[in-house]
Amino acid sequence: MFDTLKTAAATSLLALASNAAFAETTVEFWHSFSGTSGEVLDGIVADFEAANPDIDIDAQHIGNYNDIVTKLQAAIPARRAPDAVIMEVTRYGLFADRGVLTDLTGYLEADPLKDELFDFAREVGVFEGKNFIVPFNSSTPVLYVNTAIFADAGMEDIPALTNFDEILTAAQKVQAELGDEGISGIAAPGQFARWGLIMANDSDLIDSVSGEILIDAPNTVEAYKWMASLVHEHGVASVDGVTKENNGRDAFLAGKVGMMMNSTGNYRRSKTALGDDLLVLPMPCNKTCAAPIGGAGIGILSTSSDEVKDAAYKFISYAAGADSNAKWFAGTGYMPINKMTKDQPVAAAALEGEPGITVAIEQLSVARGRPRPPVVTWMRASEYDMWQAMALGQRDVTETLRDFASQTRAEEARTN
Amino acid sequence: MHSRLTPYLLIAPLLAFIAVFTYVPILTSVNLSFREWDFLTAAKPWVGTENYRLVLTSNQFWNSVQVTAIFALISVPLRLMLAIGIASYLVREALPQRLLRGALFLPSVTSTVAIAVVFSWLFATDYGVINAALAVFGLPKVYWLQDPQLALWVIILVNTWKQLGYDIVIYIAGLQAISPDLYDAANVDGGKRFHVFRRVTVPLVMPTTYFLLVISVIEAFQVFTVVDVMTRGGPAGATDMVVNMLYRVGFTLFDIGQGSAIAVLLFILLIGLAIFKARVLGRRVHYEA
Repeated sequence: MFDTLKTAAATSLLALASNAAFAETTVEFWHSFSGTSGEVLDGIVADFEAANPDIDIDAQHIGNYNDIVTKLQAAIPARRAPDAVIMEVTRYGLFADRGVLTDLTGYLEADPLKDELFDFAREVGVFEGKNFIVPFNSSTPVLYVNTAIFADAGMEDIPALTNFDEILTAAQKVQAELGDEGISGIAAPGQFARWGLIMANDSDLIDSVSGEILIDAPNTVEAYKWMASLVHEHGVASVDGVTKENNGRDAFLAGKVGMMMNSTGNYRRSKTALGDDLLVLPMPCNKTCAAPIGGAGIGILSTSSDEVKDAAYKFISYAAGADSNAKWFAGTGYMPINKMTKDQPVAAAALEGEPGITVAIEQLSVARGRPRPPVVTWMRASEYDMWQAMALGQRDVTETLRDFASQTRAEEARTN
Repeated sequence: MHSRLTPYLLIAPLLAFIAVFTYVPILTSVNLSFREWDFLTAAKPWVGTENYRLVLTSNQFWNSVQVTAIFALISVPLRLMLAIGIASYLVREALPQRLLRGALFLPSVTSTVAIAVVFSWLFATDYGVINAALAVFGLPKVYWLQDPQLALWVIILVNTWKQLGYDIVIYIAGLQAISPDLYDAANVDGGKRFHVFRRVTVPLVMPTTYFLLVISVIEAFQVFTVVDVMTRGGPAGATDMVVNMLYRVGFTLFDIGQGSAIAVLLFILLIGLAIFKARVLGRRVHYEA
């Protein structure tokens, strides 16, 4: 009996010692990717762990960008925040401003990755002169066209779709020819596309340099009027896509919508759904050519220990590296953030076989980062209701935006 | 001494549980309602009654109170009337009744989010089954979730569908407790079916009705998930319930102080309603046949 106990004790000690020898640093990582994107991310995590056996990345899918913001703010006072988190490029400013995110400037300065990142990718992680996130997935909105629907509507040759009028005319044609079959001309633009259309109308919601709120600027109002008119005036976009933004995208994927303006992050699933019927075009240049840079980067929580921060940064740097970024780009359609990505065989193959992806990359020449002061998080959360009221024709666009701008200025004064 | 302490010791674990999970959160909410906080910073400066002033002078708050009150005034009587009517039929112990009880109770134990997602698709204007069915009969499409006049009715319908099974089961239990002798006596006296229902059944299930009334009014004022998934309070605030506004202010717009103030006001409102119900209806409830 005594011998058995001794053996058990010795075995336990040995097991403890073994664990100590392979002591793992665990990094809890919250992200927003599921489905195909989630699988690609899991592959990157697995590759990193294989190369770094002393680090365990506990990757958890939390929900979309909004869900992450909500859950993170609840987790922080409960002291259950993760060590690393994906944050959308306009929403992390609030968390950086409040000291929740670690300043990664020192890490990045000492990392060769700094010189590998494209300027636009490096810029989206900077808040008030310091780096708080390292980009992971970058995107711009593009115009997706279902060429089969256009052909059925009598447009075998895709017409020019370079400004608001041309897009509306094409959408009306599809609606007139195929509306009775339950096919809509265009999907109601989601928030990312709305921002892009405002930029294409030579305006913005908030000036990214001066921070001036431009929600009620004439060009912004004009852009919103056009977007809202697609739904309630011209009836070429379904109201279902206004009530729930993903409804418009899902209908496009189901072959029920002629056009959709959406993130490049939807490229892979659109290609899978529509195959050769998918055409990708740049966003329209109405008054100017401009597109927002979207996507997200990974930040590190300031509450984590230095050891965990070091491990988390190692993972972040790996995820933004050329090899991982090439896999991510080829697997999802998100844009390359690393200058060396295109040299990776998997990325080169994707570029060669998927001309649709190159549209987004070429659009980068007119793409720019968006403002990210703390009030942006509030503004984006509030914009959905404003858009719904305007698109459904329940409130006048000018009056709504004047009211919204006034509320945003008040909130800016309060939060700053 | 020992015997005096024993009862308190026996209830101590439960008291501790209630204190930690009920009273501490309530007191914390009250405390936060007088402070400004965004969840992210350690500082929570005291702002006095400013949060209450902002909430009580906000059109959005009064709109949400009005919408919630309309929702409760329609959905609670609807639920109770349907439930007692259906329960009167299902109280019999026969196979069809048993099967129907199970079928009607199913939504009560189904995920509310799943139900709301399914109904969102059913009621979708361009892609929904209901409008597709209407189109077969040549009827125009209806903007179920986009028309401010209709959206609240859809929410009431979905919530009633979800909650009805629970009400029916409780009513069946209440109906089964009524002595058959009373029905026999009423029949001997020549009572018609509706007359017996009104004069015998309804008064005798009054304790059950009162219980369900209290529970369903509280539920109605706390309805959230169906609205959040189906309309997010829209269109134009037509389905914006108090709890949806509370969630939006506190967890989406980062104003925990105002969110807590709304929670405290809702708490006071529900207590007020409970006292009102006890004073007005409680006296009419008789627990003896």
